[in-house]
Amino acid sequence: MWLVVLLFLAGVAAWYGFRADARRTLGPPADGEAEEHTVGRCVTVVEPGGRIVDKMARVLVPGDEVITADGRHYRVEEVRGDTAVARFLGMDTRLLAWDEELAAGEIPVQAAGRTGDVAVYHTHSSESYVPSDGSAFIPFNGGIYRVGEVLAGVLRSRGVGVNHDRTPHDPHDNNAYVRSRKTAARLLKGNPAAMLDVHRDGIPDAEFYRQRVGGQEVSQVRIVVGRQNPRRDANLDFARRVMAYANRLHPGIVKGILMASGDYNQDLLPTALLLEVGTHTSTREEAERGVALFAAAIPYVLGVGPAPAERPGQPEWSRPVTDPGARQTGVWRALALLVLVGLAAGASFLVVSAGGLRQARERIRNLLRVEFREFFRPPWPRRPNRRG
Amino acid sequence: MTRFPLGLALLVLLSLLVYLGVLHRVLDRLRLNDRAALAVLVAMILGSFIDLPLPVAGVTATVNVGGGLVPLGLAGYLMWRAGTPLERWRGILAGAAAALVGYAVGSLLNRGLVEPGGRFQWLDALYVYPLAAGAVAYLVGRSRRAACVGAALGVILFDVFYLVWLKVSGVPGVVAIGGAGALDAVVLSAVLAVMLAEVVGEVRERLAGGPVLAGRPRKLLANLRRPEVREEEHRDGTPE
Repeated sequence: MWLVVLLFLAGVAAWYGFRADARRTLGPPADGEAEEHTVGRCVTVVEPGGRIVDKMARVLVPGDEVITADGRHYRVEEVRGDTAVARFLGMDTRLLAWDEELAAGEIPVQAAGRTGDVAVYHTHSSESYVPSDGSAFIPFNGGIYRVGEVLAGVLRSRGVGVNHDRTPHDPHDNNAYVRSRKTAARLLKGNPAAMLDVHRDGIPDAEFYRQRVGGQEVSQVRIVVGRQNPRRDANLDFARRVMAYANRLHPGIVKGILMASGDYNQDLLPTALLLEVGTHTSTREEAERGVALFAAAIPYVLGVGPAPAERPGQPEWSRPVTDPGARQTGVWRALALLVLVGLAAGASFLVVSAGGLRQARERIRNLLRVEFREFFRPPWPRRPNRRG
Repeated sequence: MTRFPLGLALLVLLSLLVYLGVLHRVLDRLRLNDRAALAVLVAMILGSFIDLPLPVAGVTATVNVGGGLVPLGLAGYLMWRAGTPLERWRGILAGAAAALVGYAVGSLLNRGLVEPGGRFQWLDALYVYPLAAGAVAYLVGRSRRAACVGAALGVILFDVFYLVWLKVSGVPGVVAIGGAGALDAVVLSAVLAVMLAEVVGEVRERLAGGPVLAGRPRKLLANLRRPEVREEEHRDGTPE
């Protein structure tokens, strides 16, 4: 009974919170909001010696990983307040191998290739850029849609089909991923070659994302891969290829890869990525220029649209991710992990539920005899045996 | 998927097979026989492609058959077939708790500027619902059926909350209840919650020396369908 009363009280409290939430989230921006957002919280990732590796707006947890644009791989080991201490794991050999190959050869010429769509959507549909849009959030119609349009426009101009979805998933919270999962699943029905969830970051320092690339001031792009995703290695493999090629085309355009705790609906497709284009204090124009340069790398890495010609002796890791001959180390690793975890979980579950090793063996022996007989049994009742 | 090379295609296919296999086993543990479990599974997969519009003025609302109606029907069936009235309450309680915890963690704690998932995001919102429902169902009744009902109801309730939120706020949003079909948080939560109840419950029960049989109602014992129970019933002279 007390549980029901408690639940009722919690429900009433949640309802009031919910109403206040609706008013606060959807109301006009409060005075001085822009100033307030320029002094927001920021977590700095440092090496044990104190050298700054990265900055981000989220709290990191031990185990989160960062691969910087120059291939340095770090794992967060300790979090103290706004500082995360990360251990240097070494250079990311796969990223460097990719990069070396691209450095050795010329950027391949364009030739006719496969067709395929890229799906673009926005989980945090209210995200906006304070200097250009006047607020960090514009409910249901953030400036991020314009950034997504630029990305889609560049891809289309390069012969890639784009399905840019404008479904809003407001408010800006973690449950937005549960809502956007429905959008992502709908986009999946169109058989996309990749799915890009376009965001902007929330660190107050715009300079951290500002970069001069190709003579213009742009916002860098950060790629985020969810660690709580069973196909993480495959998504990471794709992220590495995109970063290596984009930075080869336009050095410095990709800031790095963050492997954060989350799924971000990347379990739906091995080529699903989350992009953070600049931060809320960047101008939207910077973000648009940045994402346009980034987008130029997508068709080649994905092997969709006009694809580059094959070169004799081309190493397999330099081939587009959809090429049947491309080496997929991350993918095979994810596959092996899936099989191993599946077998281990199944076996331990069997032993526990059967009550011991001997009983588990007995159950496996009975599997064909009982399970299949039950499954293939005709739906009508069996006739009694006349002879017996 | 057709354009992916072998490795990627295999990965996609195998993960789907594992997911559907687990889903089938989970349904199998919920007082459904193999064939009924398979029928529910097929209904979920086919239903994933059907969205029914909901007549709510000002909001674009749909309910997916595979991700919304089939799990709701399954939850209803499980509650109707519940062994005791208390078990029905456990399911509803777990559902309400999952929705509240999901809202508190996913919408109140993890919102604002912090990207990409919120300041306190240690766990994706997708996994919060099954954990909450599984934990409540286990704590109040150690029931995997209540865990399944709770997790599915919790996510559906949250979608309904969202619909009400949009209606109250008067903004033209989009709600797709169970919109991702068999891959929706509704189904995923139900599967994970049952697995959680199953693993934690079974391990704990095994560590404690097996299920306690003494003093339990016969109806509940009959559902256990374990040889030792059947033997006991046989000795008592009660029919199986």
